[in-house]
Amino acid sequence: MANVQTQFDTFHSDKKTGIRLGRFKKEKQLRDKRNVIRRRLKANLPGVFAKYGEPNLVPKFKDQGSYKMNTGIKPLAGGSGYDIDQGVYFETPKDGEGAYSPLTLKKRVEEALNGLTDTIRIRRPCVTVFYKENGVEEAYHVDLAIYSARGSNSDGKDYLAVGRVGDSLSEQEWKVSDPAGLQHELFRRFEDDTHGRQQFRRIMRFMKRWKDVNFSSAGNGAPRGIGLTLNAHYGFTPTYSDWLNRTRDDLGALRKLVDDMLSRFSHQYREKRQEWGRCLIAKLPVEPVSDVYENMTLVQMTSFETKLKDLKAALDAAHEESDPHEACKGLQKVFGSDFPVPAKSDTARKAAAGAASSGLSG
Amino acid sequence: MNEPEQQDLVFYRSGGGRVKVPAAVLSVMQSYAQHDPVATEAGGVMMGRYIASSNDVVIDVVTEPMPGDRRTRYSFYRDKRRHQAAMDAAWEASGHTCTYLGEWHTHPEERPTPSEIDIKGWNRRLCQDQFDEELFFLIIGTHEPRMWAAKSATTTWEPLKIKK
Repeated sequence: MANVQTQFDTFHSDKKTGIRLGRFKKEKQLRDKRNVIRRRLKANLPGVFAKYGEPNLVPKFKDQGSYKMNTGIKPLAGGSGYDIDQGVYFETPKDGEGAYSPLTLKKRVEEALNGLTDTIRIRRPCVTVFYKENGVEEAYHVDLAIYSARGSNSDGKDYLAVGRVGDSLSEQEWKVSDPAGLQHELFRRFEDDTHGRQQFRRIMRFMKRWKDVNFSSAGNGAPRGIGLTLNAHYGFTPTYSDWLNRTRDDLGALRKLVDDMLSRFSHQYREKRQEWGRCLIAKLPVEPVSDVYENMTLVQMTSFETKLKDLKAALDAAHEESDPHEACKGLQKVFGSDFPVPAKSDTARKAAAGAASSGLSG
Repeated sequence: MNEPEQQDLVFYRSGGGRVKVPAAVLSVMQSYAQHDPVATEAGGVMMGRYIASSNDVVIDVVTEPMPGDRRTRYSFYRDKRRHQAAMDAAWEASGHTCTYLGEWHTHPEERPTPSEIDIKGWNRRLCQDQFDEELFFLIIGTHEPRMWAAKSATTTWEPLKIKK
């Protein structure tokens, strides 16, 4: 087996070329924007509610998503850009007297932020504030997930406002959602296992970058990042080349995960789309216990499986290969140009030139 | 199935680790295989890398017959001067990592075995120099290549198994 852990380490953590989204420069910028949004909402929402003759609701904020879980990666150039997810919780019931429709509450948020940037868009699961940078229109963004908070609901659960402009009331939805519960569920098995937790995070980042490199970013063609996270939740096993010393083996861990994912593809009934087909399911371990791949078409599923098989082939080949230079060339094909390929001279022990001798062979 | 493309050739070393002969390097040597009834023997030195923190070895380059070598149907005499110059150049170009790993030559037999001349020559080689590492000797037969490994100051030859 070629030892390519050094290259995986660089791919993950290198300050310049690594894919890990650090908690410094870029994130500071995102955090600053997030704080501006928080202040803007607190300042402007009372006026907006008053304008519509509605009682004032004071939002509470919680970080969520890959930022909160520390599983974020740097975006590819030309991709959807950096983002940060922010939960915005309102003490208002999802149903009953005086309840907002999901879209109406999102419109109040949009209105309170009006003018903050050139582009604020209501998308189905969130309200998104886009930021320009160096002439790039949507260089980064903050996703605001709007909730009806548990304290206002008789079942004690948080509900996410789902719906975009133009959706009829029946197309909108208050969807039970528990991002904090999900994070707890994902990480509780690593409570006393720092090495395992760190490898879990690295593997999730590798899978997300693989996705960004191999799928066009448009539409539902790509499996969602949260789906890959759930696949890792079910299929990841901490893997070491030396258990006693906890010498990490990320290539081994990736091979196990991808094998596990491929083994779970099967002919199944897909409730949301009401169709039978070969697919992989990524079921949330918390409410609403739905399949986060439920919106992918079977054609997209087939492409997902094909690309996973290509990934498996590349990982297996790297495992089989004796020459780290060749192994990394293969890995670069699936993980993109940020995956480093060591020069041949960096893969070998230094040695004397050796002396040729004249000789007869027969 | 179609005729498979030339593939890497990989041998297992006895103490763990492998010796890889990449397809491109193998085809250089295979081009001298003595399929033709009058083809003469050919050979050269093998150079490559001891892969860091592993027992793997990769053959990166081999020298081919050069002026000064003498080739007959059943013997090959290698003149060291030109081969040495080629080795020194490869070593310099590789940041001192591409090193002497052993020797190769062809045999006009299907599944080659070392001749007495081969064994004498190899043993002399092993006694001449002190190598920390094993040396490798490859014979290209008309049906298959075979490789042997030995440590310096020993005369024990170990055939290496091909990885399927």
